[in-house]
Formats: sequence, structure tokens, C-alpha cells
Amino acid sequence: MKVALFLTCVNDGLFPATGRAVVEVLESLGHEVDFPTEQTCCGQLHLNAGYQREGLHVAQQFRRVFEPYEFVVSPSASCVGTVRESYRNAARTMGDPRLEADVEELAGRVYEFSEFLTDVLHVTDVGARFPHRVAYHPTCHSLRTLGLKEGPKDLLRAVKDLELVDFKGSDQCCGFGGMFALKNAATSVAIGVDKVTSVEDAGAEVLCALDNSCLTHVGGVASHERLPLRTMHLAEILAARE
Amino acid sequence: MTKTFNSESAFPKLAQAELGNAQLRANLARATTTIREKRLRVVKELPDWEELRSAGAAIKDYVLDHLDELATELESNVTRRGGVVHWARTGEEANEIVVELVKATSASSVVKVKSMVTQEIGLNAALEHEGIAAYETDLAELIVQLGDDLPSHILVPAIHKNRSEIRDIFIEEMGRSGLAAPAGLTDDPAQLAAAARAHLRDRFLSATVGISGANFLIADSGGLVVVESEGNGRMCLTLPQTLISVVGVEKIVPNWESLGVFLQLLPRSSTGERMNPYTSIFSGVTPGDGPQQFHLVLLDNGRTSALADPEGREVLRCIRCSACLNVCPVYERTGGHAYGNTYPGPIGAVLVPQLRKGNRSALENSLPYASSLCGACYEACPVKIDIPRILVKLRTDVVDAQRVEHPNNPELLSMKAVDAMFSSPRRFQGLVRFGGLLARVVRRTKVRHLPPPLSAWTSGRDAPLPPAESFRAWFAATHPSASTPSAAPTSKPPATSRAESTTTAPPALREDDARDAMIESLGSPHHGVHDGTPPTGSFSFRRVGELSSDERVAQFTERLVEYRASVVEATKDGVADHVRSFLARQGSTSVIAARDVPPSWLADTASVVAFDDPPLSVAQLDDLDATVSGCAVAISETGTIVLDAGTHQGRRIISLIPDHLIVVVEEPQIVELVPEAVARLDASATQTWISGPSATSDIELERIEGVHGPRVLDVIIVRAS
Repeated sequence: MKVALFLTCVNDGLFPATGRAVVEVLESLGHEVDFPTEQTCCGQLHLNAGYQREGLHVAQQFRRVFEPYEFVVSPSASCVGTVRESYRNAARTMGDPRLEADVEELAGRVYEFSEFLTDVLHVTDVGARFPHRVAYHPTCHSLRTLGLKEGPKDLLRAVKDLELVDFKGSDQCCGFGGMFALKNAATSVAIGVDKVTSVEDAGAEVLCALDNSCLTHVGGVASHERLPLRTMHLAEILAARE
Repeated sequence: MTKTFNSESAFPKLAQAELGNAQLRANLARATTTIREKRLRVVKELPDWEELRSAGAAIKDYVLDHLDELATELESNVTRRGGVVHWARTGEEANEIVVELVKATSASSVVKVKSMVTQEIGLNAALEHEGIAAYETDLAELIVQLGDDLPSHILVPAIHKNRSEIRDIFIEEMGRSGLAAPAGLTDDPAQLAAAARAHLRDRFLSATVGISGANFLIADSGGLVVVESEGNGRMCLTLPQTLISVVGVEKIVPNWESLGVFLQLLPRSSTGERMNPYTSIFSGVTPGDGPQQFHLVLLDNGRTSALADPEGREVLRCIRCSACLNVCPVYERTGGHAYGNTYPGPIGAVLVPQLRKGNRSALENSLPYASSLCGACYEACPVKIDIPRILVKLRTDVVDAQRVEHPNNPELLSMKAVDAMFSSPRRFQGLVRFGGLLARVVRRTKVRHLPPPLSAWTSGRDAPLPPAESFRAWFAATHPSASTPSAAPTSKPPATSRAESTTTAPPALREDDARDAMIESLGSPHHGVHDGTPPTGSFSFRRVGELSSDERVAQFTERLVEYRASVVEATKDGVADHVRSFLARQGSTSVIAARDVPPSWLADTASVVAFDDPPLSVAQLDDLDATVSGCAVAISETGTIVLDAGTHQGRRIISLIPDHLIVVVEEPQIVELVPEAVARLDASATQTWISGPSATSDIELERIEGVHGPRVLDVIIVRAS
């Protein structure tokens, strides 16, 4: 089938490898991927920080670009969560029922990448090989907004020679939280330090998640603490053929 | 002098100070981990937890839409039962009312049950100002008061202190205001609890005025419900001649049946127990039993202004369980003091700005940002308050105020600039290209220091740099024929946000006027969203149990034993043997019972038996070792025994003062579920729900049996066959 890739601003600017991995995995499964070049951002930064007007402005850009597609796939749980929940909440706060109906309809066509694999394509083994000890951190938006629990782990378990490592407090937030990371930097880092310590204690080489924004924070903390932990988006592990 | 929260500092600054305290971090991490695990365990046990949550939310929504009617219904029922209802629009008004009531009794001190609302209004300081000493009796509140500290948690105000810090406070401070800590006091939690018992014992027995809050107010019976663990609540609600309860008006529930929902939601969410050791339920004045003067002060203090919008109403559902604090990653690191007020944690971050609408200090503006929006609070909330969504709405209010007051503030300007970048594909693509350019110049993958404001990022994190080849360049090169469907431009300009409504303080009025003004504002948000009957009936939580009588007895026994009670089964004729052996085991040589207990229960006992007829004084009761009592109903799922001052029981005080309580439960009295017990009980009866011996979780959230109520509970189940 034909899917549109919503790369997200963070991946567009900083993590092109994640986008390439998504394209490679989907194409290897026989699907056609479109990349609408007019895409920018979902508006999450603004919407979550209280800049509702600006957030909805960016959201309109998102809607214009992805309106024509039946399937929109994105390697970011928090951006998909924004489209599914924050658009609706903001439209409600604005008291705009027409906008609310529009965004509800669009939200039904936007999928997180791993969710698209497991729940739409019903695939768990994508033919990847990745001989490393990997810890999976369920980001807050994947776990609690999208309700993705076992799907991403099933995908990892199907990766050849990958050892999935459990760690203490895995379902607790990493401390990123968008603007929270800047406005409450000390608290954000304190939470992040506990997260990387726990992952290190479990003996993982790689920390994997569905959101590069969270991984930037956790990886940044690990690097600042001079820990050897690598962070990788799930898509990149699924595209690995090591 | 009582400390009060008076910080004007914003959350990040307060948090920074707390984060530096390694002991605090360790104490909090240990305590919150313990309570999270306990909560999960008891929540998973209930197959209908989600239905109970939905019912709890819907009942509260109904209440908040009908507060004017329900508050007046409550008033008339409390009055009918011999209580006096007062209305206070502000904390100052409430404090004035309480001070006048205490002065009228000539008491120079009061004993207090732990109450958030009296902290919210600063009642202790107001009483002290008038020369009236307010003694906190909850163990954690006592620790905070003795240590001249501030509370840091809704349920466990001294959660930031560990056992050895608590021992030091007791040794140092107890002697200054009463009985000193015993020599050689260790940091064993049981010893600490015993020291608190001894320190407060005479204070309870001689108190003439008690002050409490309440967990629930039952509109259709005038009932007041206080949920607690240690027995200090029972002491304050039972021993003084005068009881003054200060309660936020949102604590009303419509009817008796609602308790079947909330008495399941609250204990499991707050202490992670199936049921808390003690729940007291009474309406107005019970002649000859407990306080003979009862005053209920219904408090507004910002609640009606919170009612005015949907988010405020949702927040007022809160039943103060503190589950959201215990699961919050931010609270776990910063503790409660960083929130700068009585209500910490996620609920505080949404409640405080709603209660203080129009007040935009640095603290209030920062609270909605004191969250990573991780959603753990919403998941744990027993009344489904969508805290993350409300935080975002409150952030929007902060920003919208900034647009008017400080249109040139740097954050607003940068966010507008980012918007301009992100809503234009051309500018956005330029930015991505610039990133690639930067990467080729810098030729590194990460940076350790960024300039302000991004220096906040690199204060504890390295930052990534853009890679040389963008995704866009790669995709264009590898997918030359990719087509993009033309996007239909259906842009709609966003509506402008609604203007902030400004609230002005009403002029000072007398108490009668306060009543009318408050009822009027309570009625104003009435939108007719809900129909005229409380919605409890529309939820399918379990109302009838499925266990056989044998299974109920077995479950009841197992649950009581977990609370460290002793349980035996007896035949109808065998009760006296077990009473005798329980008394002998504890060395209890004197025993009290209600006049109507069956003589066969106490046959051939070697102990001296006193009957509460004529009623014994507190001092006489305090000389007795044990109590033998029947009960009204028992609940197997929660290991609960309910006394209702009915047959074989007598006054509430009888089962409270002696240190050893023996309860005889008849097999047919045992039901499986809380709603079944609620259905069997008379809403107008004065009740004590007992689940194990008195206990506390106030020291590192570990349950310790034995504080102010009976430290030993023995149960004799009389089998039907």
C-alpha cells in the first residue's frame, strides 16, 4: 500500500537515519512510501507549552500536507499523540467544533511506525539482525497516550540475535517533556540520570524507543555522564542487517 | 510559631534547592517506590476498578453540577441532627468562625485531625494568634509540627523525613511541648509510634475541643466521613465535647450509596490498602456518644471560581488520595516543598492556580510547567482527572496573560519565530539546509555547551548536531519519481482565545450573607449537563458478591490476619472460651462491654467485667484493659468490621480507649463487598469501620500496627453451623 511518511521536525533536522530506516523497512515489506516535502512539524512544542494559537497554526500546515493521504506513518509516538489528542483538546478549548471534527477525522489516519507494522500490516518479523543487548524504554506518549505496550517489544523480540533487556522503572518518564527539559532543566536531568543509571545497571548496550526527542535527552545525559550507552530509534534497529 | 508557605519563588528555583538534598532524594525514592507497588497490587485485585473510577468521576461531576442544591440539603440534614452549619467564603472567614467557636468554649488548646483544608487556610496560625494552641495528632503532622517544618505530601506530610531523622526530632522536641520522648528511643518505627502514642495520650483524654476536616459529606443523611489509620481521628471525633469540622464544599457526595464507590477508591489509591484501619461516620450530634456540640464550617475559598470553567470543575473531583504524587517522576525528585504550597504534586499544580484565579505570582505561573506531561497521574487518578490536559490548558492561560501583560517577553517572541519557521515549508527547508551546512563546518556529532537559553539543555546533557546529509537530500536522490499529491489548502484562521475574566473580591459580609452569596455562586455553573438523579446506578461495578459463606469466612480471616489481627472460629457456645484465652494471652485483667452483650460471651472469665451503664468516664475507661463487642456487618474482601453502636456494641468510645479489642462476628453478618455492606447499613447510624488494629504508614510509608486506637485486635467468628 501507499503510505505518507511524516518524518517530524526533530528527525528532519537531527535524525535522518531514522527516516531512512522507516523507508527501508516499509519498502522491504513491499509498500510505497511518499515523502511530502511541504511537511514541517505537528505543533507539539507550541501546543504543550501553552502557545495554542501558534500550535494550531502549525497544525494547519500539517493538516494541509497530509489531508490527501489514507495512511500517514510517523516514527514518533509523541507527534502521533499530538495529532490524536492535543489537536482535539486545543480545538475544544478554542470552542471550534468544525476544527474538532476535522482533526478527529485526520487523527484516524495517522499511525505511529511500530503500531502501523503490528496493528495495520500485522508484521512482527521484518528480517532484521542486531546482535546486541537492547533495553526498550516505553516513552510516555507511546505507553500512555497511544497505549503501545507489547507491540514494540514483539518487534524487537523478532530481531535475530537481539537480547531484550528489562530494567527497573522502565515505564517511568525519562524526564524530557519538551519545554520541561529547558524550563525545569535540573529536575529533568535528575530524572534522566536515574533512567540511564537503571539502564546501565541492567547491562544494556543500546537504549531503544519510539521517540528520538526522548532519546536525545536520555542520550545527552548518558554522554554528559560519560556513559557508553547508545541510543537508537526502534526503526533503525528494525532496518539493521548486521 | 506555625510555619506557613509564603514563597513567591517559582517552582524551578524551589526545586533546584530540594534536588541538592541527597537524603531527601533517597527518602522520597524509597517511599514512593514502596507505595506505588502497594497501590498497584491492591488495584489489580479488583476486576471492576475501571468501572469504579468511572462511577467516582461521574458522581463527583454530578455533585459539582448540583452543589447549591446538595449543600443546602446537607445543611438541613446536619441541622436536623443537632449540628450547626457555618458558611465561609474565604479562609479568613473560616478562621474567624473557628476562633470564635473555640473562644466560646474557653478552651486554651484544641486537638486536630490531619486536614488539608485547615492547612490551606492557615488555621493553626490563626488560632495561635488568639492564644489557642493547636495540637496536630496525626503522626506525620506531629513530626512536621515538632520539627517546625512544612508538610510535603498530602497523605504523609513527613514523607521527606526518614526514621532516624524522625527519632532526632522526637528526642529534641517532644519534651518542649509535653511528655518527652522515652530514654533510649531508637529509630525502630514501632518505638517511634509508641512514643507518639504516649506523647499524645493525655492530650486526647483531656481535650475539650477537636478540629477536623472530612473526606466526604453525605448530603442526604448529613453524614460526615473521616478516613484515617492511627485512631487519632477517632480520638478527636469522639472524646472532646465540641467538634468543629472545616470542609471544602466540594467534598459533598449526594447519597449514602456513593460511599460504596469512594470507600473502595480512596484507601486503595492513597495508602495502597484494601481498607484503611478506621473510618468514622456520624451525622450531627449523637446523644450520649461523642461531642455534644458539632459545628460544620463549609468552605469556599476559591472553589466557586474554580467551578466556573470545565477544567476547574474536573479538578474539584479530587478526593485527595495523593496517588498522583506517588507516581509522579517530578514529585519523586523534588518532594513537596518545591511546589510552594499546601497542595503539592500534579494535583497541586492544577488545583492551586484554579483556587487562586487571577493571582499570577511567579509561583502560580510556574506550577503548570512543573510536569513533563508523562500522564502517570491521569492513569492513577481514581476519579479520572485528566491532569496533563488541564496542565496544558493552564499553560495556555499563563501564555495568554503574557501576550497582554508582557508582549515582548523573549519566550513569546521566540515561540512566535519558531511558529513562523514551522508554518512555512520554504523557511523550514531553509532551516534544515542550514543545519546540514553547520554540520559540515563544525564536523562534530555533539556539543557540550550551548549559549543561552539553550544552555539550560547542556547544563546536564550533551546536545546532538545535525548530520551532513539530510533525510530530504537522501530521499530525493533515492526516490526521483516520488509524487506528492497536491495539498488542498483548507486553512482556517485559528479563533482568538477568550478574554480572561477578571474576578473582584466581594465586599465583606456577615455570616448570613456569606451563606446566601455562597449558595448563589455554587449554583451558577449549573448547566443541566447531568440529569436530576445521582448517576451511581448507571455503572456496573460489583454490587453482589459471588463467594459462598465458607469462602467469605476464609477470605475475611485471611485479610484480617494480613492486618495482624488474630482470628478464630467458634460455635455459638464456644465464644466465652476464646474470649477468656484472648484476655489471658494479653494479660487483660479488666474488660468493658455494652450492657446488652450476651452473658454467654463473658461466662467464667477471670477478668473484672464492667458494663458501660451508667456510662463510664474517659479516665475510668482508660483504666480498663480490653473491650468485648459485637458488630453490625463485616466485609470479607477488605477485612473490615463495622460497628454502628447497635446491638452488643454500645458507645463508640468503648471500642477506642482500651488497648485490646475483641470483636465477635456472627457468620451471617459477613458480606463480601463494600457496596453490600453499605446497602445493609443505616445511613443515619453512627459508625466506625475497623480494618485491623490501629496502624500508621507515616514513617517511610511502611505499615506499623499500633498507634492511638487499640493495638491488639482479636476476632471471633461465630459459625452458623
